[in-house]
Amino acid sequence: MESCAAMAERLSGEQIIEACQLGDREAFRHLFEQHKDRVYSVALYFFGGDEATASDVTQQVFLKLFGKIEQFQGDAEFTTWLYRMATNACIDEQRKRRRFLPFGDAFKLSEPRAKSKPDERAARAEVSDSVKRAVATLKPKLRVVMLLKYFEELSYEEIAEVLDISKGTVASRLNRGHKILARKLGHLRGSLVHSE
Amino acid sequence: MYGNHVKQHLSAYAHGELAEEFAARVAAHLGDCSVCRAGFDEIKFGIRLAESLPVVAAPDSLWSGIEKSLVESARTKHHNTATLPSPPRFKFFDGWRRLAVAGVAACFVLLAGAVWFYLAPPRAGWEVSSLAGDPRIDSEPIGAKGRLVVGDWLETGEGERAQIKVANIGQVEVDPHTRIRLVETRVTEHRLELQRGRMHAKIWAPPRLFFVNTPSAVAADLGCAYTLEVDENGGSILHVTSGWVALETGARESFVPAGAACVTRPGVGPGTPYFEDAPATLITALSKLDFDNGGAEALDLILFNARKRDTLTLWHLLARVGETERALVYDRMAALVPPPANVTREGVMRLDREMLNSWKDQLESTWMFESMPTLRKALRNIMPK
Repeated sequence: MESCAAMAERLSGEQIIEACQLGDREAFRHLFEQHKDRVYSVALYFFGGDEATASDVTQQVFLKLFGKIEQFQGDAEFTTWLYRMATNACIDEQRKRRRFLPFGDAFKLSEPRAKSKPDERAARAEVSDSVKRAVATLKPKLRVVMLLKYFEELSYEEIAEVLDISKGTVASRLNRGHKILARKLGHLRGSLVHSE
Repeated sequence: MYGNHVKQHLSAYAHGELAEEFAARVAAHLGDCSVCRAGFDEIKFGIRLAESLPVVAAPDSLWSGIEKSLVESARTKHHNTATLPSPPRFKFFDGWRRLAVAGVAACFVLLAGAVWFYLAPPRAGWEVSSLAGDPRIDSEPIGAKGRLVVGDWLETGEGERAQIKVANIGQVEVDPHTRIRLVETRVTEHRLELQRGRMHAKIWAPPRLFFVNTPSAVAADLGCAYTLEVDENGGSILHVTSGWVALETGARESFVPAGAACVTRPGVGPGTPYFEDAPATLITALSKLDFDNGGAEALDLILFNARKRDTLTLWHLLARVGETERALVYDRMAALVPPPANVTREGVMRLDREMLNSWKDQLESTWMFESMPTLRKALRNIMPK
C-alpha cells in the first residue's frame, strides 16, 4: 500500500519533469512553484538575510535547472539534484564575494505565522529572529548542513550525497551546529518553552 | 561505559539516524552518564532552536525574471538554428486537439485523485499491533496492524488489547476499555493522552522524552517501566516497576521509584507516593491526608507506621504539610534515616531546595536497595554480621 502511494506520487513528479524536458513552460512554472520557497530560504539564510543575493541565486538555480533538465536521467532523486545545484550556487556566489555579508538589518520580511496570541507571537518572533542571527554566524559548512536538514528535511545520507561528504561528517557538523546554537541562545530556553 | 562517551553521536541519535543496536547502546549510556545526558539536553535544545527557523516565501517577482531569461534563451536558440521551425510542443490550445488533451488531462487528474484517496501514504505516526480482538483508531478497526498519527484516538473494547511502538524509544501496551491519543511525536518529545483505561509503558530513552497526559496529572518518564490507569472520574493510579516516573501538575510534583505507586485526583493533582508494600494503615491514612482532609490524625498514623523506606512518602510530605506538622515529619525521618551532614533541621523547616535534594539523594539508595528484596537478602547473607 505504501509503495503504491509513493509510486503514484513519484509518477506525477516524473510527469512534470518529462514535460519540462519537452520544453513545456507551464511545467517549468509548476516545478518552480513547488520548490521556490525552499530554495530561496536556503539562499536567504546562507547569505545572512541578504534578500537581493538570495533572489539572484534562486533565479540562477532555476535557470540552470531548466537548462540542464534534459540531462536529468531520474537515476537520482530530483530533490537531491536540485539541492546540490542550490548549495553549489550558494557556495560559488560566496566564493565570488570572497567574504560573508554581515547580518545587519536583514530579515525584515513578513512571514506567515499561525494564529496565536500577541504575546506568543512576540515570543516566537524573538526566538526566530535570534535563531536566524545565530545561524548566520555559523561557518558556511555548518550552516549549509543545518539548512539542508531543517528546510529540506533531508536524511543524513541525502545531505551527504548533496554535499559529497561522508554521513559521519554530516553528523559531526550537525552536532557542532546544534551545540553552537544552544550555547549562543541559552537565554532563550524559557522563551522557547513558553512560545510552544 | 563512562570511558566511551557518546557526545559526538547525540544529534544522529536524536534524529533517529543511528543503527538500532548502537542507538540502544547510546540510550543505555545516557541513562548512566550525567555528562552525556547534559550534552543531550544541549543538543535537543539546539534542535528545537533550528526547528523554529521558518521557511521564507520567495518574492513573486522571481518568476518574471526567470521567464524573461527563458524567452531570451529560446529566441537566441531559434536564431542560431537558422530558419528551421521548432517542432510544435504541447500545443494545448489549438482546436479539437485542445479538447481531447484537456479531456485526457481531466481523466488523469480524476484517476490520480482516486489513487491518492485510496492509496494515501501513511502519515508519520506510530505502529499499532493488535494483541487481542480488533482495536480501533478513530473508530476504524485496525485489523492486525494500524498506524496512530498525531491527533488520532486508539480505543480498545471488551477483551481487546493493543501494542503501540513509541517511535524508536519504547513500547506501550494498552489494556481493554482504554482510550488513548497521540498528542505529539518529535525528536525532543513524545506525548500520549490517556483519557481512560490502563496502559503499560516500557521506555528505553533518556529521561523526559516520553510523557503521558491524564485528566489529573502528567506522567514524565525518567527511564522506566510502569503501569498507568485512569478511572471514569479522571483520577489515576501509577505503579512503577523499574526506574523512575515523575507525576506533575502545576507546582506539584511526585517522584515515584520502582516498587512505588501514586494516586492522582482531578483538581488536586498527584498525591504522595508510597511503596506498595507499605503497611495498609499507612496507605489508607495517606489517601485521607491527600484527598479527604485527613489532618493530624491521618498524619499521626502515617508517621507511626512509617518504615525506613517509607521516607519516600515522608520526604514528599515535608513540602506538603504546614510548619508544625513539618517538624513532626522531620523528626520521624531523622529517626529513621539521619540526614547527611550538610542538611540541617532549620534548612528543612524553611524548605531549602538544596538541602531537600541532598537528603533525597542520600535516601534514594535506601529506596532502591529496599526495592530489591532478592538482592537485599543476598547482600545481607554475604555481609559480615
